[in-house]
Amino acid sequence: MKDLVRLLRLFAAERVWMAGGLLLALATILANFGLLALAGWFLAASGLVGLASYAAQNVFNFFTPAAFVRFFATLRVLGRYGGRIVDHEATFRELAALRSFLFARLEPLAPAGLAGERSGDLLSRLVADIDRLGDVYLRVFAPFALAACAALAMAGTLAFFVPWAGLALLAGLALAGLAVPAASLALGARPSRKTVAIRNEMRADIVDAVQGMAELLAYNAAPALEARIGAANDRLIGCEARLAALAGLGAGASLLIANATMGVALLIGLGLAASHHLPGAVVPLLALGSLAAFEAVAPLPQAFQLIGGMAESAGRVFAIADRPPPVREPARSPARPSSLDIVFANVRLRYAPDAPWALDGLSLTIRAGEHVTILGRSGAGKTSLLNLLLRFAEYEEGSATLGGIELRTIRGDDVRSLFAVVSQRTHLFAGSIRDNLRIARPEAREADDASLWRALEAAALHSLVRATPAGLDQPVGEGAARLSGGEARRLALARAFLRDTPFLVLDEPTEGLDPLTEAGLRADLARLARGRTVITITHRLAFVAPEERVIVLEAGRVAEDGKFASLCANGRIVPRLARMQKDLIHL
Amino acid sequence: MPAPSSPHLDRRLIDAARPARAGLYAAIGLGFAAGLLVILQALLLARIVNGIVFRHQSLRAVMPELIALFALFALRAALTFLSEIAAHRAAAAVKTGLRRALLSHIFTLGPAYAAGERSADLAATLTDGIEALEPFLARYLPQRSLVALVPLAILATLFPIDWVSGLVLAVSGPLIPLFMILVGQQAAAINQRQWHQLLAMSAYLLDAVQGITTLKLFGRAREEIALIARISDEYRRTTMASLRVAFLTSAVLEFFASLAIALVAVIFGARLLHGHAHFFAAFLVLLLVPEFFLPLRTLATHYHARMSALAAARRIFAVLDTAPAAPRGTALPPSGPIALSCRGLKAEYEAGRPILRGIECDFPAGRMSAIVGRSGAGKSSLAAAILGFIAPSEGTILVNGAPLAALDRESWWRRLAYVPQTPRIFAGTVAENLRLARPDADTAALSAACRRALLLDVIESLPQGFATRLGEGGIGLSGGEIQRLALARAFLKDAPLLILDEATAHLDLETEALVAEAIADLVRGRTSILIAHRLATVRKADQILVMEAGRIAEHGTHESLLARNGAYAALLQSVSIPV
Repeated sequence: MKDLVRLLRLFAAERVWMAGGLLLALATILANFGLLALAGWFLAASGLVGLASYAAQNVFNFFTPAAFVRFFATLRVLGRYGGRIVDHEATFRELAALRSFLFARLEPLAPAGLAGERSGDLLSRLVADIDRLGDVYLRVFAPFALAACAALAMAGTLAFFVPWAGLALLAGLALAGLAVPAASLALGARPSRKTVAIRNEMRADIVDAVQGMAELLAYNAAPALEARIGAANDRLIGCEARLAALAGLGAGASLLIANATMGVALLIGLGLAASHHLPGAVVPLLALGSLAAFEAVAPLPQAFQLIGGMAESAGRVFAIADRPPPVREPARSPARPSSLDIVFANVRLRYAPDAPWALDGLSLTIRAGEHVTILGRSGAGKTSLLNLLLRFAEYEEGSATLGGIELRTIRGDDVRSLFAVVSQRTHLFAGSIRDNLRIARPEAREADDASLWRALEAAALHSLVRATPAGLDQPVGEGAARLSGGEARRLALARAFLRDTPFLVLDEPTEGLDPLTEAGLRADLARLARGRTVITITHRLAFVAPEERVIVLEAGRVAEDGKFASLCANGRIVPRLARMQKDLIHL
Repeated sequence: MPAPSSPHLDRRLIDAARPARAGLYAAIGLGFAAGLLVILQALLLARIVNGIVFRHQSLRAVMPELIALFALFALRAALTFLSEIAAHRAAAAVKTGLRRALLSHIFTLGPAYAAGERSADLAATLTDGIEALEPFLARYLPQRSLVALVPLAILATLFPIDWVSGLVLAVSGPLIPLFMILVGQQAAAINQRQWHQLLAMSAYLLDAVQGITTLKLFGRAREEIALIARISDEYRRTTMASLRVAFLTSAVLEFFASLAIALVAVIFGARLLHGHAHFFAAFLVLLLVPEFFLPLRTLATHYHARMSALAAARRIFAVLDTAPAAPRGTALPPSGPIALSCRGLKAEYEAGRPILRGIECDFPAGRMSAIVGRSGAGKSSLAAAILGFIAPSEGTILVNGAPLAALDRESWWRRLAYVPQTPRIFAGTVAENLRLARPDADTAALSAACRRALLLDVIESLPQGFATRLGEGGIGLSGGEIQRLALARAFLKDAPLLILDEATAHLDLETEALVAEAIADLVRGRTSILIAHRLATVRKADQILVMEAGRIAEHGTHESLLARNGAYAALLQSVSIPV
């Protein structure tokens, strides 16, 4: 609940829209209440006057109530229409605020602060949460506010005529709007939880069935899984039946309460009218008014149902958004140094205070212009070394300098502006080829197509792009699905070409490509590498030249460092890796 | 696949609901009964108020009516409850039937159909798609009948009592659907487009969030915050422009409902004033006018349910309408060692896109054959054909001389073990994942299989050993461990034929060496067909088949193929292995 209130504060800028929507909705409900109550009174009053003397007929003001009837009818139509427009406007604005908020909070965290077992899932769930939370005001907060205001206004109106009838209405509204939904929510908590659990279980099995079908069939295990999904379906239906029964019970109870409230108001009115303590024309007003009043509490059951899920979504979003950024940024960077040597001395780095050291006393110097290859098993510290260098993670001990300046005194963006990174994880966006290239050089406008084409040519992608109907505007699809693996990597490469930086980081740049494509890409990479400091990260030895400097990481520190050829002859780890590599060459 | 049209889909969905007819009729019947009770309640209410206010009766005199009124309240509540249950029963029966039919049909269509991009869509159809039918079946369908029945009953009540107001309703009633159709058609088109735009916006955010590291690397992340706000804003503006039109639909309905009440009140007021009408009739009409429009309003709120149900139904029926590629055989496969041969084997993805273009080859019993070639050469398709997942368009596969197509699929699979390139870990424990291959295997057998797959140390170091949960909600295994788990499955199955698609992803060298060692152990003594990516594996093969563009370009041993200096030698050279 605290998280939900916090959301409201995020929406503060849209309070005019929110209040506007609320007022219009209130006007709609009160107009409907007014319309029916007034019409009831009006008919009875006209009827009574019609029976009375001719003089009374002349005194009776027919036109004012008739005008109000028309006014209420019009107000209701306009209120409903306008209310829906304003509500949606507010919702879209809130959604936009949420989206910006999420992105702004994730930005300082990525990537080290978001690394998790299934960060892909995490992110898509967060985006789904945001979509859901866009509705939180409209479907959760507004109905309660609306019901409260409308209930008081309508009960007050009835109380003006007959205090007890007003009180009865207030009680009826509270029962139908609060007690019944709260009770059905409490009763439904267990079956709902079970439903969610079974549904997740079944979903996992179904995904398994579809994606693992080849293995399931080949192992004759499909019928067993089919039976399991069938059984889960039956259990699910059972739970849903209980929930449907509860929903029916709730709907029945609400209807009963609404009708009974009307019955009670009627009885009170009839009693007073029979004893001439109340003008008879007020009786239909009481009956119709109390019946119409229940429109105000109709959305509350749904609001109650949504609270739990919305709170969970908000909790998930804030749990991530409130994570402390892994790196603290200085206010400004010192001037760019003249030389760009990298010197690490006894660097220790870890991702959480209780996590093991990912870099544990790393000491390493890379001179400007050097080409080095960093080797190591997964977990040896290769990624952490990159995170250190690119200011994605903070080092706790030791010193890490770039051109003699301590890294933690330079702003992350300024450090990263010196690097071009090509890796298998480089993200391609769902826009066009041009969109993807412009990320590397935002100032490149249409007139600058020539530089984009040069980059494509350097990455050996120009003939392919030229052959597509839209050229640079050719969409690459979601996750670059319309490009082959090799083409996608080349597009990432073209981006790096566009970015003329002193450092080039190649993080397994050819992983996942077939060997022939890989060989082609290697040649282009060599061209890109010319004249820069190049750090290649890999867990394989293929393509390492004998005179190249190789650094082997083990347990977060340097285990071997030297020319590849000499390490092959005298090293401890490299010769063993080289022997294995020979057998394990991929075709 | 051709997309079935909407009216056609409506009909098919209703046909699919045929087994649940009883439930649907019950829901409609209960809803209609509730509608009749509403009329009865209005009659009673009008009588009571008329009696006291106009005929000056005492409370005691209207007591029977009052008691009946409160009894009606209870009865209506009970009907509401029962119709909810009946509607859910009907929907549940349809959902269960369709889910079972769909799942079993997908298994019949096989992995060649379900693979790739389509897999996510199929999984979504089986889960969310089926669920999307519930509101349509449980709410929209019964309501669609009530929308005609209840207003007719109200008209039938009103006409004898007051034909003028009866006429007002009889005229304005049918006008509403007419107007709604006119406005709705435009709104539906807009709605659909808007819906896509909304999805596009959330896809945009997801794309940006997933690419956040890349944006940071290029120093563009902070600009993106403003960009997201700007794009959201543009979406809002275009969406709102069309929603203003779409909401007219509900405004029309609201307009008529309010207009009718206002008309009834004003017209009756004048007539009552001049003594031309009875209060009883006037009050009754006023009570029934909102009820006259209620079913239509309820239907309008379920209209969206119909849209999403039809979208789901389109996907469901598209799958169910897909015919399986090949008829199934019934013959039993041989029980001893297995030798395979392919004769003139051709297959295509779809008409005109051949993937196998006349394969001629033999896989001798008990020997290991390695298939090599570039991606797209047809290696996986050949394996899929042998597995019976795709049907040849021409030619045959012979199993010990008898055609594979004539064999019973399930019995054929019992004779082989299959290790795909990216093995799947299923939701469940380690033991359950292994027992997929042999459900009756005891723990000793599981341990033995894991030992040979060089995985036992890993399993024993897990928190609960073989009982550790994997996959969804469980712990994750590394790439190398997953591969060895798949090998352990194959060891456990101990089948005479092994089809193995080696992983192309690079693991670290130590892990790769372990996997290679386990594979070498696994192939021993079986007819093994390996789609091989590692030179070490290929070297050990009894024969190497080199595939190029859907054909076997050459075959022989490592040495003989090198001596030929053909496709194989070229392939090795391309990865800069000195020949």
